[in-house]
Amino acid sequence: MEVIYGLIPGMLLLGLAAVGVLFWAARSGQFDDLEGDGQRILLDDDIKPDDPRRFPGADVED
Amino acid sequence: MDPPSRCFHCGLPITPASAVRGQIAGGERHFCCHGCAAVCQAIHDAGLDGFYQRTPDGEVFGPPPQLPRQLEFYDLDEVQQEFGDISSDERELQLAVEGIHCAACVWLIENGLSAMPGVTDARVNLTGRRLRLRWDNGRLRLSRILRRLGELGYAAVPYDPGAAELGLQRRNRALLYRLAFAGFAAMNLMWISIALYAGADQGEFRTLFHWVGWLLATPTLLYAGGPFFAGAWRGLRQRHLDMDLPIAIGATITYAYSLVVTLTGQGDVYWDTLVNFLFVILLGRYLEAMSRRQAVSATQRLLDLQPRAATVLRDGEEALVPMRAVRPGDQLLIRPGERVPADGLVEQGSSAVDESLLTGESEPIMRGPGQPVVAGSLNGAGALRVRVTAVLRETQLGRILHLVEEAQASKAPIQSLADRVVPWFVGATLLLALATGLFWWRADAATAVLAATSVLIITCPCAFGLATPMAMAVAAGSAARHGILIKQGAALERLSSVTRVVFDKTGTLTRGQPRLVALMDARGLWRADETGEPLNASRQHWLTLAAALEQLSEHPLARALTAFAREQGLVDMNLTVADVRMEPGRGVVGRVDGQVLALGSAAWLQSLGIALHASLESPTDWPRATLLHLAVDGREVARLLLRDDLREDARAAVDALLAAGLQVSLLSGDRQTTASEIAKRLGGIEAIAEVLPEGKSAVIAGLRAAGQRVAMVGDGVNDAPALVRSDVGIALGSGTDVSMASADIVLTGNELVRVPQALALARRTLGIIRQNIGLSIAYNLVMVPLAMAALITPLVAAIAMPLSSLAVIGNSARIGRIPKLFKI
Repeated sequence: MEVIYGLIPGMLLLGLAAVGVLFWAARSGQFDDLEGDGQRILLDDDIKPDDPRRFPGADVED
Repeated sequence: MDPPSRCFHCGLPITPASAVRGQIAGGERHFCCHGCAAVCQAIHDAGLDGFYQRTPDGEVFGPPPQLPRQLEFYDLDEVQQEFGDISSDERELQLAVEGIHCAACVWLIENGLSAMPGVTDARVNLTGRRLRLRWDNGRLRLSRILRRLGELGYAAVPYDPGAAELGLQRRNRALLYRLAFAGFAAMNLMWISIALYAGADQGEFRTLFHWVGWLLATPTLLYAGGPFFAGAWRGLRQRHLDMDLPIAIGATITYAYSLVVTLTGQGDVYWDTLVNFLFVILLGRYLEAMSRRQAVSATQRLLDLQPRAATVLRDGEEALVPMRAVRPGDQLLIRPGERVPADGLVEQGSSAVDESLLTGESEPIMRGPGQPVVAGSLNGAGALRVRVTAVLRETQLGRILHLVEEAQASKAPIQSLADRVVPWFVGATLLLALATGLFWWRADAATAVLAATSVLIITCPCAFGLATPMAMAVAAGSAARHGILIKQGAALERLSSVTRVVFDKTGTLTRGQPRLVALMDARGLWRADETGEPLNASRQHWLTLAAALEQLSEHPLARALTAFAREQGLVDMNLTVADVRMEPGRGVVGRVDGQVLALGSAAWLQSLGIALHASLESPTDWPRATLLHLAVDGREVARLLLRDDLREDARAAVDALLAAGLQVSLLSGDRQTTASEIAKRLGGIEAIAEVLPEGKSAVIAGLRAAGQRVAMVGDGVNDAPALVRSDVGIALGSGTDVSMASADIVLTGNELVRVPQALALARRTLGIIRQNIGLSIAYNLVMVPLAMAALITPLVAAIAMPLSSLAVIGNSARIGRIPKLFKI
């Protein structure tokens, strides 16, 4: 059971590292715009009508 | 095929009268107004049609917001330096943007701006409705970018990152760090506790675990518990027991006791209890801070959209300067439709000036050479040259603001229910702990200390500390989704016990803009509110001509007439309008379609040599309406009645409040007869009339002195002192920034029915808070005797504490749904 003498400090250090990462993330503004960044990832560029990648029949003109 | 019933751009329903058709992208599209059509055209021209594919289906957003006037003002270096660094041409600013609602807007703004040569970076923050902009000031002026945003349908102005909102954000962030650290410590201590409960407290690792507990608890107490010690110290210095003191005492004693146990090896440690306790309380504080920030930042955004500049004439040259640089004696140019920026005397020109902001009087007043104009009033149709007599704080407006600030400073801080109970609670806890200690002291010292400490720990004000903030946070979040911004939680509590609601009349109960209500001609009387009767052809013809004549005027009456004609679809763009001559305060004459039209007051028409039509009915049952006479080719053909009408939901709001058992009054500067008539139409509420603007707060103070609890609803600067003076001030979001800053609650949608809704929410929230406090008292009643009997083990404490907090949190979540409109 002596392993506990090493494990516990190890656990604390890992935990502290995680807290440190959280602080860094908050400080560098990663939580400033949760909505926007979540949506931004889904915004892609427009596909031109003559682009070969375009699906046939994906015409969204109204 | 029927035309679509919803606006292509904003999704609002299209009324046939206001429909606009546009040929865009080769197809015909239908819009609800010209604003939407122009924005759609701009979006198409920029090649950003993809915006419409990105908007969620069925998403409705309002028509584009009004751009602030005088955008060039923001090009001035002395203005920009307030918002950011201007040492080089590479500049960066934060802008507050009105009109952002979804991810499609993010895409549109970012792509639309990045395409401008000179913009290096544009990044939208969707949560905060902000835009971070980097641009090359040498190639591109800021006003050009703002105007481009306007074309795309957004209004934006720079805002000051050092302002209140960001200070608040920094404090919130510090709170979040503390919360995170306490959470980390609490989680790890759980493991230690489990090991101890599972039997490690009998074995070789007992000492190790105790010291590990100490290692985790010490920084938590010092860092995460810091605010509580600071607060307790502040409270002691001000001789005022608040929530922080028992938290600090409880935490300190728990810590000290556990440390003694760790050192002597006798007894049980309470490290886990201590840390969990701090974590839960911090969670409550953080929730409270979040809900407050939401309200503050939204009002801040509304306030930021108000420019502050003036056009100064120096040696005949016009220059746009910030208000701070204007001095008494300067000559200002005030264009039609602009706000007057300073008090002064007119030197040249004449115009009808709308002083409703200060006086509540909706009729514009004629001002000519030698007459005074006051800051904050709205210039009508004429350009004025004004010699400044007073600026900023010296103006009448500034003096009103000063009154507001004084009233705010003298307003005693509101004691929320929990705050009132807390000192007793704290006192009782300390006494009980002391008594317990003394009682067991005769048995043995160790038991005495243990029992006394258990009393302190177990009466943990946890549930108590969470009871109010938790309920307030849920309520504020739910209110914000319904267009009710609660700037401070305690306002909700006071709102729940209000006995009388006082509405300002002009601009609050009424729209603040006149509308056409009736028309008389040789065939009789036509009323606009009797929807059954359509306008016959000759009346339509007169109105079409009159609207064409008035279309260029900025006068409120003219705007009312043209708006009515647009609603009725009586706009004929093919009419030739010529020789228009406006006589401010009298009327307008001109040639429309070859006929000479005159529209104005009876006296003026007679002075033009036009005989009045004797048989036309002059209505008597329309108090406080304005009568306009229309003459065609020297003969009077019709009379138009215009009146400032009640908002549609005024009656519903008043009825709901009366049904909830409240007294409702109306406060107005108008004549008693007028006010009484409006009051009668609202179901016979009390009318307090002929009150001078500065008298409003005295009226509120009088009502309060008579033992009433008063909520005031207003929108203008002249309401601001009254809003501060009342128990709860409620401002309309369309009101002036002063009134919004003075109020406790802001209704962003300008819907009066939100007032009874806010009241219902307040009552419900307070009910929940009472339940929460009841829960925590019940918990204490059960646990304290156990603790006093020295029966509480750390295990019981560790289980009981989180349970009491969870009960409070779960109960508060029930507020979530805002009550139905009329079910109070």
